[in-house]
Amino acid sequence: MIAVPPVQRAALPAELRGLRRDSARLCVIDRWSSQIAHSVVARLGDFLSPGSLLVVNSSRTLPGALPMTREDGGAVQVRPAVRRPGHWDALAVEAAPPHRNIRLRFGELLRARDGLSLRVVGHRDDAPLLWQLAVETGDPLATLLREGEPIRYSYVPEPVTLEHYQTVYGRVPGSVETPSAGRHLTWELLMSLRRHGVGLTDIVLHCSISSLQDDAVDARKPLIEEWFEVDAGAARAVNAASRVVAVGTSVVRALESSVDASGVVQPARGWATLAVTPATKIRSVDALLSGFHEPPATHLDMLRAFVDTPLLERAYRESRERGYLWHEFGDAMLIL
Amino acid sequence: MLITGASRGLGRALARAAAHEGASLALCARGAADLGAVAAECRALGADVLAVTADIAEPRDVERLAATALDRFGVVDIVVNNASTLGPTPLPFLSDASPAELEAVFRTNVIGPMRMTQAIIGGMLLRGRGVLVNISSDAAVNGYPGWGVYGASKAALDALTRTWAAELSDTGVRMISVDPGDMDTAMHRAAVPDADPAELARPEDVAGRMVELLAGALPAADRVEVAALP
Repeated sequence: MIAVPPVQRAALPAELRGLRRDSARLCVIDRWSSQIAHSVVARLGDFLSPGSLLVVNSSRTLPGALPMTREDGGAVQVRPAVRRPGHWDALAVEAAPPHRNIRLRFGELLRARDGLSLRVVGHRDDAPLLWQLAVETGDPLATLLREGEPIRYSYVPEPVTLEHYQTVYGRVPGSVETPSAGRHLTWELLMSLRRHGVGLTDIVLHCSISSLQDDAVDARKPLIEEWFEVDAGAARAVNAASRVVAVGTSVVRALESSVDASGVVQPARGWATLAVTPATKIRSVDALLSGFHEPPATHLDMLRAFVDTPLLERAYRESRERGYLWHEFGDAMLIL
Repeated sequence: MLITGASRGLGRALARAAAHEGASLALCARGAADLGAVAAECRALGADVLAVTADIAEPRDVERLAATALDRFGVVDIVVNNASTLGPTPLPFLSDASPAELEAVFRTNVIGPMRMTQAIIGGMLLRGRGVLVNISSDAAVNGYPGWGVYGASKAALDALTRTWAAELSDTGVRMISVDPGDMDTAMHRAAVPDADPAELARPEDVAGRMVELLAGALPAADRVEVAALP
């Protein structure tokens, strides 16, 4: 897959670059004709016929990087990859960039400023960089909301406030990294699509962390489960739609986790453990709005389940030549 | 129902009236003790209550309130942006008021409600249902000497309501301004210390009429005066 020069990584969201969210550029890949077109997200309606259904992920983003103090007084930043009642599987990294992994001690207690304390009880066998932390005191959600900061990678050099990570329809809090494909959408655009006959429904999938801050480990693409819910209304809408357009790969993961043997989406909730790879036959989704990400993101494997690698490479190359921006604050891709 | 500024005056009365009608409540105020007392009163009336100590002028507090309420209840059907500040008292003439005070009042009375609304309205628009109420004042539409800072903020809030309501047409989500009229509250006493309480409405009565209003078909207008309701 094509490497991206650093200059093309989006350091700020569109609205902090003096633009509208829906002004993001849109690379449109028609996988049936192998044609590639270039437009903007605000003109999404040009590519969607009446009867199509947009499925968005209405998970709300939490400030997922929590500053905590170790027993020896050292600082640690905790990033909960999996949040269960009373228990986190979390990355423990240095408080400052480049946020290298920290080796915690079994049995030690981590404390947040407002009273949350977490006991290190082990680490995951399948992803040893994820520490199993048991809540001893406090309310983890309240502490994250009070003390956390958005998880930020090196291509976003300055802090960006949480509101810029939220989609305009974010509802149930739970993602620790933003479901970024939907960040481009505005209600003005969604309302206009509705008038044009394009339906809208939502699922919830709480996005986990996209990097374990270790290139070798990330390259092995460890599978982290994510909580999802597809309710009866969403399942009904998806099954009735003439074309299902997933806004983001998280929607693909949720819907593919809910589809039965006959290809019908059933209401479902639980932990999504499905890995979508180039070999996966996608049954519930016809089109995908997505962003641009870099290897070894599992995201790219997901895209290759929709598009042959040569066509995807051509789209990436053209987009790079046209100055598209990469990552969660970057530009967009529509695969038809 | 999510109510900001729920520990005193109209907010407290609204919380109690809604609890009486069986609503689940997300309440916020800056003072934990007063808020805790109102939450206990509402629980005693049988309501499921989430109480969050928060200052609507602080963006992080607004997000924490919205996220905690959505985590607890999944959906929020009604938001009442009630929290507001008079600014400095005794109320100064505009020629004597400081722009910094105006800014602080706008943070609580205009930007706070806008953030609160943006945090909740997405879920409402997805479901095609919801009501957002912004508490206004007759100072928004009249030039009462001394009320300029507060009145300007409420006029700005009315303008947000008016435009937002137009943008929400056909979505199933409604937004209205409600002018509750002059009430016998701590805020009114701070503004007009020598007012005769007998000439002021009781917040309980106003809250009762507002809960009735919200339970029925909302009027088509985007601004309602409680005193003028039938």
